[in-house]
Amino acid sequence: MSMIRTEHLAKVFGDLAVLKDVNLEVEPGEVVVIIGPSGAGKSTFLRSLNGLEKMTSGKIFIEDELFYYRDHDKTISKMEAKKHKQLMLEMGMVFQRFNLFPHKTVLENVMLAPVHVKKMDKGRAEALAKELIGKVGLAEKQNEYPARLSGGQQQRVAIARALAMEPKMMLFDEPTSALDPELVGEVLNVMKDLADQGMTMLCVTHEMGFAREVADKVVFMANGRILEEGKPEEIFSNPKTPEARQFLRSVL
Amino acid sequence: MLAKIIGWLPQLLDGARITILLTICAVSMGLLLSIFLALGKMSKNRILSKFCGAYIFFFRGTPLLMQLYFIYFGLPQINMALTINSRFFAAFLAFSLNSAAYCSEIIRAAIQSIDRGQFEASKALGFSKAQTMRLVIFPQSIRRLIPPVANEFIMVLKDASLVSIIALADLTKVTRAISSSSGTALVYIPAMILYLIMTAFFEFIFHRLEARFSRYEV
Repeated sequence: MSMIRTEHLAKVFGDLAVLKDVNLEVEPGEVVVIIGPSGAGKSTFLRSLNGLEKMTSGKIFIEDELFYYRDHDKTISKMEAKKHKQLMLEMGMVFQRFNLFPHKTVLENVMLAPVHVKKMDKGRAEALAKELIGKVGLAEKQNEYPARLSGGQQQRVAIARALAMEPKMMLFDEPTSALDPELVGEVLNVMKDLADQGMTMLCVTHEMGFAREVADKVVFMANGRILEEGKPEEIFSNPKTPEARQFLRSVL
Repeated sequence: MLAKIIGWLPQLLDGARITILLTICAVSMGLLLSIFLALGKMSKNRILSKFCGAYIFFFRGTPLLMQLYFIYFGLPQINMALTINSRFFAAFLAFSLNSAAYCSEIIRAAIQSIDRGQFEASKALGFSKAQTMRLVIFPQSIRRLIPPVANEFIMVLKDASLVSIIALADLTKVTRAISSSSGTALVYIPAMILYLIMTAFFEFIFHRLEARFSRYEV
């Protein structure tokens, strides 16, 4: 069984093809890191998995169930809305710009979705939120508003907020790109812990160290396609395509 | 002089009461309507969006004075059933329908000024569209709404002087009546002071509100 699988995913913006025939499979517990030059379509790909971007054509399977199927801008088959939402909630997402709710405290940010989307009992949601906030190392900040936290702290809250929905898989969209260099480490450490606990993760990142150390699989994308995928050591020490060679030369 | 002013005061206060009551009722109702108008105009439903757009265009594009005339004098001539006997209610209707058009643009701008990331995070967490608005977007918009809404209250407070054309005894109408019966235009001084007091009242309230809703910002 695969956690998520895409078949022939394509996206066209006007006459610009952003994604062309993207096929990717992520197994449960696998950590997949997507690398590639900017404009390669990495973020668009990630965002189309949970519906933030509409693809033009292709299929997405979640736990082998057809989640989404589009052909030239027509949704051909879409499962029952309730089931669709349930599957969508199996994916937690972390954004480059954190996107915390500024009018809510740290604790409220983490509790909001469990209470209102999952209809979780408030007491339980609070206990869960406190546990997760503790896990990302911010127990003493739970009553602060996001504006009073550093970027790294905000991103850790954002991770806790996504985890509060108890997803089976986490999508990370350049989670450290908006951070000052000295704050990158604390976020990567939280992500490493998560990987160690067996969370299925799909990360778009420019942190090659993280990719090398934590990824089970590295995917190299350029010009809207997946050009290479494999174990980190294969990709990093023996890239096959000229695009990957050039990209790795420029970032390593 | 002072004795004269004190003598006028009960009448002036009666007028001021009508003015402020009309302002508060009309803008409150206008705000309520404007939420639906703003959401309607931003809706993906083309017909709804066009209808709301046309409403806003009409009420912002014609003089309030004419709208008031039309509601009070014109509607009964279309159909007797549309006759509005209460002058206050006719004024309330005209002012709230008009204010709704202005407020809806204020609300639309406030909603659209919220970062796209807030909508995306809400969607990714599974909130419905209504929940996203109620829990995430509106609470953040409120603070941005306060200064332009305060402005709207102050504008309407003064526009309310138009109601004298349907013989509703607001502060301006009362002042003019006193002025012509007593033969002195000095009554405008206490009347203007009353307007300033009412304006100051709105400014005070909205300042407090603004502070309250900005507490989450550094």
